[in-house]
Amino acid sequence: MLLCLGVNHRTTPLELRERLAFAETKLPEAAQQIKSLPGFEESVVISTCNRVEIYGAHRNEKSEDSFNALRTHLAEHFALEPAQREALTSYHLSESDAARHLFRVVSGLDSMVLGETEIFGQVKVAYDSALKAGATGRDLNKLFQRAFNVGKLVRNETTIQRGSTSVGSVAVELAEKIFGDLRECRVLLIGAGEMSRACAQSLLSRGAKSIFISNRSHDRAVELAKEMKGEALLFDQWEKAVHDVDIVISSTSAPHFVVTPDLIEPVMHRRRGHPLFIIDIAVPRDVDPAINDISDVYLYDVDALQAIADEGRRERERALVKCEEIIEEQLRKFGYAEDSPPAPAVLTHLPSQTLNIEH
Amino acid sequence: MDIPRLLIVCSTLAFLGGVVHAMVALRAGQWRENRWHLVPMAAGFIFQSVFLYLRGQQHGRCPLTNHFEAFIFIGWCIVLLYFLVGATYRLSLLGVFTAPLIAFLQIVSLIRAGTWDLMTDPKGPVTIAGELHKTVALIAYAAFALACITGVMFLLQDRLLKKRRINALFHQLPPINDLSKAIVRMVFFGVVLLSLAMSTTFSINKPITSGKMLAAWIVLALYIIIALLMWRRSLSARQTAWLAVLGFLVPLLSMWFVTGKI
Repeated sequence: MLLCLGVNHRTTPLELRERLAFAETKLPEAAQQIKSLPGFEESVVISTCNRVEIYGAHRNEKSEDSFNALRTHLAEHFALEPAQREALTSYHLSESDAARHLFRVVSGLDSMVLGETEIFGQVKVAYDSALKAGATGRDLNKLFQRAFNVGKLVRNETTIQRGSTSVGSVAVELAEKIFGDLRECRVLLIGAGEMSRACAQSLLSRGAKSIFISNRSHDRAVELAKEMKGEALLFDQWEKAVHDVDIVISSTSAPHFVVTPDLIEPVMHRRRGHPLFIIDIAVPRDVDPAINDISDVYLYDVDALQAIADEGRRERERALVKCEEIIEEQLRKFGYAEDSPPAPAVLTHLPSQTLNIEH
Repeated sequence: MDIPRLLIVCSTLAFLGGVVHAMVALRAGQWRENRWHLVPMAAGFIFQSVFLYLRGQQHGRCPLTNHFEAFIFIGWCIVLLYFLVGATYRLSLLGVFTAPLIAFLQIVSLIRAGTWDLMTDPKGPVTIAGELHKTVALIAYAAFALACITGVMFLLQDRLLKKRRINALFHQLPPINDLSKAIVRMVFFGVVLLSLAMSTTFSINKPITSGKMLAAWIVLALYIIIALLMWRRSLSARQTAWLAVLGFLVPLLSMWFVTGKI
C-alpha cells in the first residue's frame, strides 16, 4: 500500500520545516532508515525548502500503524522537543490520494509559486537517491516514473508554466524576449532599492554578463557591488555608463525624471540599432515615459511589470482546472478507480505520548 | 483536373491548413512549438517538389519556363530556406508567417496559369549560364521574401513589447535581437546570390530582353543599398525591419515581369 506523510509551506511554519529538513547528501540514508521500519518495503524522501515528504510502500494491514511508525521515527530522528512536536502538523495520505498528491507536487500545482518547475528536478533527485540506495521497489518505481510522465504532460498540454509571476521574473522574461541570450548583457542599477536589487539579481542569475551600480550613497553602491560581484560607480558617472549597458534599472528617490529623452536619444544613435531595456522601479517614476517612443527602447515601469506578473498568475490559475483533469485521467490509467474523489488530507500532530527521546 | 494543377492545389491546401491550425491554436493559447507543426510545411514542400520534378522531366531543363513554374519555384525555395533558417536561428513561428505568402503566390499562379503554362514545352536551346542565372536569381528572391517575413515578425514583436501586450503571440515570437540579425543575414545572402545570378548574364549567348534585365538590376541595386545601410548600422532595428518588408515590394512587383516566358 502506498502512503505519503509530509509537511509543507501551508501546514508548517519555516522554523519547523527547517528543523525537519534532510540534507541532499543524507537522502539515501534517510530512505534506507525508513525502509527498515516495521512493515515498510520501499521509501523515497523528498526534502526541499517548502516541503518534507516521505513516500512509502508498506504491507501493514492498517495504514495508521505505518503512519504512527513514520511520525515516531521523524520525531526521534530530529530529536524534536515537546513544544515543537505540539506545533508540528503533518498530512498523511494513502493510495490514490498519495499518488494524486505526488502528481500534483511534480506538476508544480502544490508549490508556493503555482506551476514552478524547480520541484520537478528536486523530486527527481530525491527519487534517484532512493533508487541508488536500493530503498525503492516495484510500487514506488512505478509511481514515480508515472509521476514524472504526468509532470511533463501537464507542462506540455497546459499553460501552467507560461508567463512570469513576480516582478523579477517578468524583468528576466522581457529581457530574454529583447536580447535572446543574456550572457552578453550588461546591467546598470541606478539607486539601490530592494526591488531593483531583486530584479538585477534575477538577471544575473540568468547569466547577465556584468552589473554596474550607482547610488547617491557611494558606500552603499560599493557594498552592493561587492555583494553582486559588480562595479560601483559614482552617482555623477552613471549617465556615461548608459552607453555601455543593455539594461538599465532605475530606483532613485528623486522627485523628478532622472532619465530623459535628451539623454537616451544620443545614446540610441550610438548604439546603432542595438536595443535598450529600461526598467523603472521608482515611485515617483525616474524615467520619462516619452522614452518608450524612441526606436529600440523598451521602457517598463513598476505598474507595467506588476500587471504582467498578475496576468501570469491569473493565466496559471486558469490552467489549473485542465491540469487537475489531466492528473485525474492519469490516476485512472495508473489503476485507481474512476470514482475515487480526492480525499482531504488528514492533518495530525506528532504523537508526543509515544516519544521517548533521550537528550 | 490535370496532375500539375492538382499537385499545386494539394500543396496550397497543406500550407493553408498549417496556417489555419496555427492561428486557431494561437488564439486559444494552445500553441506549442513542436515538430508536428512542420508536417503541413513538409507536405506542401513534397507536393511542390514532385511538381517541379515532373515539369523538369517533361521539359528536359530547369522548370522555370513561365510565371507559373517560376512562382512555384520561388515558393519551393522559400520553404527550403525556412527549413534551413528556421532551424538554425530557432525562429519559432516563422513557418506560420511563411506559409500564407507561399499560399498567396501559388493561388495567384493557379488563377493565372493558362493551358500553355501547364501543358506546353518551351522551345529554344538550354544553356548552363541561362539555367544558372534563373535558378540562383529566384533563390535570391526567396531570401528577400524570408527577410520580409522575418521583418513582419520583428515589427509585431516590437509592437507587442512597446504596447506591453504580453499575450500568446508574444510568448511564441522569437527575441527581437535574433529577428533583427536574421533579417540582415537573409538580405546579405540574397544580395550575394542575386549578384552571382546577374554576373552570369554576361556569358549568356542569347541576351535577356533589356526590360527584364533592367528590372533585375534595379532589384539588385536596391538591395545593395539596403545591405549597405544595414552593414553600416546607420538605421534603428525597427527601420531595418521596415526596409526588409517594404523593400520586398519591389522584387514582388517585378516578379511577374522578370519571370515571364524566359
